[in-house]
Amino acid sequence: MIKSILKAFSIAFVSISLTLISTVSSAEITINWPSIWVGKDSKTTVINELVSEFNAANKGQIKVVIEAQTDYDIYAQKLTAMIATGKLPDVFTVGTELMDALYRSGKGMNLASHIGSDSHWNDVYPDNALESNMKDGKIFALPYELFVTPVTYNKKLLKNAGYDEFPDNYADFFKMCQAVTETGKVCTSQMTGKNAWTSMLWYSQALASVGGPDIYEKGLDDPAYVKAFEIMREMYNYTTSDAIGADAGVSGGHFLNERTAVFMNGPWFIARYTSDGIPGLHENIGVAPAPMVSGGKGGPGGYVGGRQSSLAAGKQSDPKKEEAIVKFLKWLTTPDNVARLSYSSGAMFIVKADLPDDMDRLFTEMNAQIGEAPYVAPIFLNGIGSLPISNEFPQALSALVLDEVTPEGAVQMLKDAQ
Amino acid sequence: MKIKKDEIIWLILFITPAISLFLLFFIIPILFLFITSFTNWDGISADFVGLKNYAKLLNNKTFIRSIINNLYWCLTAAFITVPLALIIALLLAHRSRGWKVFRTILFIPQVVSSAAIALLWLALYNSEYGLVNYLLDYIGLSEYKDHNWLGSIRTAQPALIAFSLCYVGYFMVIMLAKTAGISEEYYDAATIDGASQFQKDLHITAPLIKSAFFLCIILAVIFNLRQFEFVYLMTNGGPANRTSVLVLYIWKELSIQRLGLGNAAGVIMIVIGAILLIIMRKILKSETYN
Repeated sequence: MIKSILKAFSIAFVSISLTLISTVSSAEITINWPSIWVGKDSKTTVINELVSEFNAANKGQIKVVIEAQTDYDIYAQKLTAMIATGKLPDVFTVGTELMDALYRSGKGMNLASHIGSDSHWNDVYPDNALESNMKDGKIFALPYELFVTPVTYNKKLLKNAGYDEFPDNYADFFKMCQAVTETGKVCTSQMTGKNAWTSMLWYSQALASVGGPDIYEKGLDDPAYVKAFEIMREMYNYTTSDAIGADAGVSGGHFLNERTAVFMNGPWFIARYTSDGIPGLHENIGVAPAPMVSGGKGGPGGYVGGRQSSLAAGKQSDPKKEEAIVKFLKWLTTPDNVARLSYSSGAMFIVKADLPDDMDRLFTEMNAQIGEAPYVAPIFLNGIGSLPISNEFPQALSALVLDEVTPEGAVQMLKDAQ
Repeated sequence: MKIKKDEIIWLILFITPAISLFLLFFIIPILFLFITSFTNWDGISADFVGLKNYAKLLNNKTFIRSIINNLYWCLTAAFITVPLALIIALLLAHRSRGWKVFRTILFIPQVVSSAAIALLWLALYNSEYGLVNYLLDYIGLSEYKDHNWLGSIRTAQPALIAFSLCYVGYFMVIMLAKTAGISEEYYDAATIDGASQFQKDLHITAPLIKSAFFLCIILAVIFNLRQFEFVYLMTNGGPANRTSVLVLYIWKELSIQRLGLGNAAGVIMIVIGAILLIIMRKILKSETYN
């Protein structure tokens, strides 16, 4: 009896041990990536392809799993909580507004040693690009996506209003808006909902035009902040009735459906003019720098933009997993892959990549204008360097537009938010 | 009843899990909240700042507005939603033909995601393509054709609160269930005395479901003190912070890493909730809802 029990126990023990050994030895490293490049994002298709190709090439060793994050604001909040608790994802994208918190937490993977030991990084990044993300000798994030925000306008609707070109100053711009309104269309897409993205971009453009590209160094007491709000107040006379409280879907939707003539967003939206716009919309679209404020410190043709996102990783205790993550980051920053992403989505990347000659027309036109731009100033969200202030901006803007406050009062609301 | 010595150990063993859970998930978090409310904790570091957070909050217009808005939500629930639920419960208590269908229809919003309802109403209220303006224009109120209900200082808060009346079904079901326990003898006696249906509802049904009515008021106030998803999804506290509520305010502070300040707001919210409960107990008199 006892012999039988011992025999059975031995067999069981050996079986379990062999199973465990085989499991450990063939352990596939899983990399979790909560990605915002999902759903309607213009980079979704190629990102999925890149992940599939990487997984296929590393089958049985590394597997990247995308966790869809369909709302950027919610993703940003989730990431904020993760940074605070130190439980960062394996791979993630991080915006400029959270970089300081990421560095202070010390919970990100320090990529400096990998960068120093592998020539890939210096080959694919422009000079000083990586150093600009270095703090105290550490690099927690790789600069990745860039953006600028040109004006996109519907040439057909402007032509119907008697305009063959987009005006280069606000006086003529508002005359154009009046003319567009008289044709029965609405001139601009605006929004005060969520982070007031579209309107915030317009405000950023006006601010840089009035105060110069270094306006954020001058503080909220500079009169440029008031003047820019005056322009926004006028702007809202030529927008849709649902602009107050509207989110990006509403604001963009009006332009995609040809209800509005003028829009502002980043290059990632280029692909959507074809995929989500009414038939023929893309062919009717032109890009231009924002109008200039006469007498302002910014010159004609100025742009706003900056770093849209950086690639980062959570600190790992397993060296093998760390190596796997670095391998995946290298894959994402390979010039050919970046070129594919840029070609399909219209997005811009800091990684040096040879772009095909048949890039989207709008992308090519925008690039040409950037080349001649006197400056690319930061957007307000990033340049102001204060989450409380940028959080309060939509409320200050809606208060201004509803005539609850004057432009001076709107600036005061931003100051009070600190 | 005197507890025997050998029973004390079993008593302790049986209540320890409950006490532990209560400590772990209620007392300790509240203590943590209270302590960190005196710091400038941003999720990474924290320095003691004394009462600075509380002073900042009490001088912040948006925070005060949030408290007032929460009181609006609570008063609307207590004086409109729950009484409306009472009237509907009294009507359905007659068990007239089709009463079960109406009961089901009124309860449907409870089983639908509140986020889905909020987004649905966001579309209905849209000034460019929403059904509300279309219907108003159709019946001749063309001045509302392009009205932005959620983007107007005057109408944003009422528009937000108005659609929340669709949750009347929850309270209606509670009071309707209470009517099932009323003895038919009361109604028989009233019928013999020549009482009308209205008189029966007023003098028999309503008094006998008073405890359920008061319970519903308390629940309604508690629910609306915690109001968040409708405001977040539909207005995000706008326009101009006019529809902000306490939980949204706290959430915004936490999301920009002002955790000490957010926690101070949380402490104030707990105090407000406690005061409201004490007031309600005194007004409604505790013995009536036992």
